[in-house]
Amino acid sequence: MWPLGRWRPGVAFFISSFLISISATGIIFIFLIVESFPIFQHEGLGFLSGSEWYPGEVYGALPMIYGTGIVTFIAVSFALPLALGSAVITSEVLSRPTRLVIKMMMELLAGIPGVVYGLLGITLLTTAVKNTFNLIDGNSFFTAGILLSIMILPTVMTLSEDALRSVPKEYRDQALALGLNRSETIFHAVLPGAIKGIAGAVLLGIGRAMGETISVMLVIGSLDRIPQPFYNIFTTGQTITSKLGREGAEALGVGYHWNALAGLGLILFLAVMGITFIGNSIVGPLSGRGINTKRKQKKR
Amino acid sequence: MRLKIGFLYSLILLSEIVLLPLSSLGAEKATIKMAGSTTVLPVATKAAGKFMAVHPSINITINPGGSGVGVKSLGNGLVDIGMISRHITDEEIKNFPKIDFNVHVIGRDAVACVISSEIYNAGVKKLSREQIQKIYTGEINNWKEVGGPDKRIFVIDKEAHRGTRHVFMAYIFGDENARAKGANLISGSNNEEQTKIALSDTAIGMLSHAWINKDVKGVGIEVKGSVIEPSIKNIQNGSYPISRNLSLITDGELAGFAKEFIQYILSPEGQKIVETSGYVAIR
Repeated sequence: MWPLGRWRPGVAFFISSFLISISATGIIFIFLIVESFPIFQHEGLGFLSGSEWYPGEVYGALPMIYGTGIVTFIAVSFALPLALGSAVITSEVLSRPTRLVIKMMMELLAGIPGVVYGLLGITLLTTAVKNTFNLIDGNSFFTAGILLSIMILPTVMTLSEDALRSVPKEYRDQALALGLNRSETIFHAVLPGAIKGIAGAVLLGIGRAMGETISVMLVIGSLDRIPQPFYNIFTTGQTITSKLGREGAEALGVGYHWNALAGLGLILFLAVMGITFIGNSIVGPLSGRGINTKRKQKKR
Repeated sequence: MRLKIGFLYSLILLSEIVLLPLSSLGAEKATIKMAGSTTVLPVATKAAGKFMAVHPSINITINPGGSGVGVKSLGNGLVDIGMISRHITDEEIKNFPKIDFNVHVIGRDAVACVISSEIYNAGVKKLSREQIQKIYTGEINNWKEVGGPDKRIFVIDKEAHRGTRHVFMAYIFGDENARAKGANLISGSNNEEQTKIALSDTAIGMLSHAWINKDVKGVGIEVKGSVIEPSIKNIQNGSYPISRNLSLITDGELAGFAKEFIQYILSPEGQKIVETSGYVAIR
């Protein structure tokens, strides 16, 4: 029997919606596994370690995996300090009305579509990067990384700010009572208390950076090549998403080319799923504690 | 209250399921779907606009993507008409055994070797096949080696399935799928490549003749001592070496409005559109 008691149309609707939402994830996952299976059969592990990709001949995903990794790394290394700094200021220094305005602006920034960032990137950022570093062209891993760092900044910043604010007020009071000044309180009491939440925020930001397609595609240069030497981030490259965006329509439906793209999709899906999972499991318990503490405070 | 809201949701969902198919039935409009080459795209778009003005009951949707997408979409039955700016490869014919590819040539075009205007104005007005080959393999990487200023060459390649690339590489390397080790960047559509070259001041690339402008210059191709410019005249008299047919492809013979649309492009009025788009009419 239904655990929800007697039959109601509304209940039926909620249950069916629930099942549809759950099965969407499952269907996508199964679809990717089924569609990419032939390429793993055809190329074996060479699909993951191969660095050459010529449709009809050979499919090696390593340049794309490298590209996604390095671009995400650049994005996080630029976004994290900025996000953390502004989160600390917003949470610990600003007054409540100003804080709300800043948070609203950040959420607005998060809502701007990727293609708009891409167009800004292609017109402003590539030229700026080219002139600043005196490069032959502004399309590069670095440009894509910087663009992504701006895109994930609001996610990391607002979630870090939430984490900072959920640190119980007692921590601050006790730190002040012990004679620490304000900056010492932030560095030695508040930040350590919020570190799990901040880590979660960063992981969710990484998930977003890895999945972003169009803006990266417009500024990365789309060359399937691992740079020489490998840390030369000022050359053109390719990420998993930009590869899928470029070749998806052409490969559609049949052949190893399609299976190989599905394989790339599967790699990305697993990576983002893993990171989102870790991110959520870190953030989860902490925000729960924050709510409990607030309740306790109310009772007093 | 909760029950009422739930009920309301169910009602909305139910009405969507019932009404959506109905609404599409209501506005019965014949649709011609097209996809493919961005070189053919301007002709198809302008012709579609005029065709739809005369036949208001017809709806023509056109998606860019490149010749490869044109063949694939037709092969998978996603479109009625594919647009291509190269020939259909043997592999593509093999991939779609059930499709009876029918090619309707609508115009001719040249693939120009294009360079940034800064380099052109600094003196590089012509390149030979061997020079372009060496630039694309990376053997030549400075403009001074081909008579230009002392600047590194920014080599722009195209996505592998693009018609423009097939035709260009077939001439330069004798292999339409040639690998270009010297490439610095891959671009997609003609528009994208045009923008990338215009933004750079040291770039070389390949573009349909119709996309040449004041920032993106087409160099002459040096053949046996004489230089042949990528011009309408040289495409017409067949002397420019890298030229190609622009075509619409269908699965067998079409009937109805799709057939009429292709006939329209082949009519004098349609061929005028081919000419104003910067290509050579075939009739």
